[in-house]
Amino acid sequence: MSHSRTITVTARGDRELVITRRFNAPRQMVFDAHTRPELIKRWMTGPENWTLPVCEIDLRAGGKGRYVWHNTENGADMGMTATYREIDAPHRIVHEEMFDEDWTGGGTEIITTFEDDGETTRMEMVIRCKSKEARDNILKSPMSDGMEQGYARLDRQLAERRAA
Amino acid sequence: MMELTEPFDLSQPAISKHIKVLEKAGLVSRSRDAQRRPCKLEARPLGEAIDFLEQYRRFLEVRYAKLDALLETLKTVNDPTAGTG
Repeated sequence: MSHSRTITVTARGDRELVITRRFNAPRQMVFDAHTRPELIKRWMTGPENWTLPVCEIDLRAGGKGRYVWHNTENGADMGMTATYREIDAPHRIVHEEMFDEDWTGGGTEIITTFEDDGETTRMEMVIRCKSKEARDNILKSPMSDGMEQGYARLDRQLAERRAA
Repeated sequence: MMELTEPFDLSQPAISKHIKVLEKAGLVSRSRDAQRRPCKLEARPLGEAIDFLEQYRRFLEVRYAKLDALLETLKTVNDPTAGTG
């Protein structure tokens, strides 16, 4: 766990998914990159052809956020509305997420914490589902076919590049 | 059940309890064969869960690599959007 930049994704208890990641930057900067739309748009994209043209955030308890990802290849849009519950900058954010096409079984509550660790910042994100059933359904669903197709296409391109 | 206790340093009731939890989670199924109640590992749901977590990890890894690059830019360039506010 002391490796910098190692990501862990685990299922915890009955209805949680937990993500941890370390960033080689000060906590305020990592917090800003997670909460300022002009910065979020620069990294919360992908896979491959998915961009994030819409990102609006009213960062206060009770405030709303709106994210729309757009696939530049097939024109598809994927929207998500966030509702902020607790903001303790630059340490902790509690918010709820609901995708327009709900694939999470009723939305999720997400608790994000940022801790100083020497020169680095350790992030933990707890994604809490509505029920054990909702969490288990997420675990059973392969990630969207589009995502797998994206990876398959990337694999092909890399193979072609190697062959060339 | 007796056969399952052999490789472990656990009592039969303890093994029984673990099996019940696994059965409830759909990871083990049990049938009846006279006096025996053979257990069968149901690996499919376990495989599905691992597949999702691995796919999700790969997806996030790509995203966070982009964030790493952005953070490096913010650190080197005195970007006005990267203030402390």
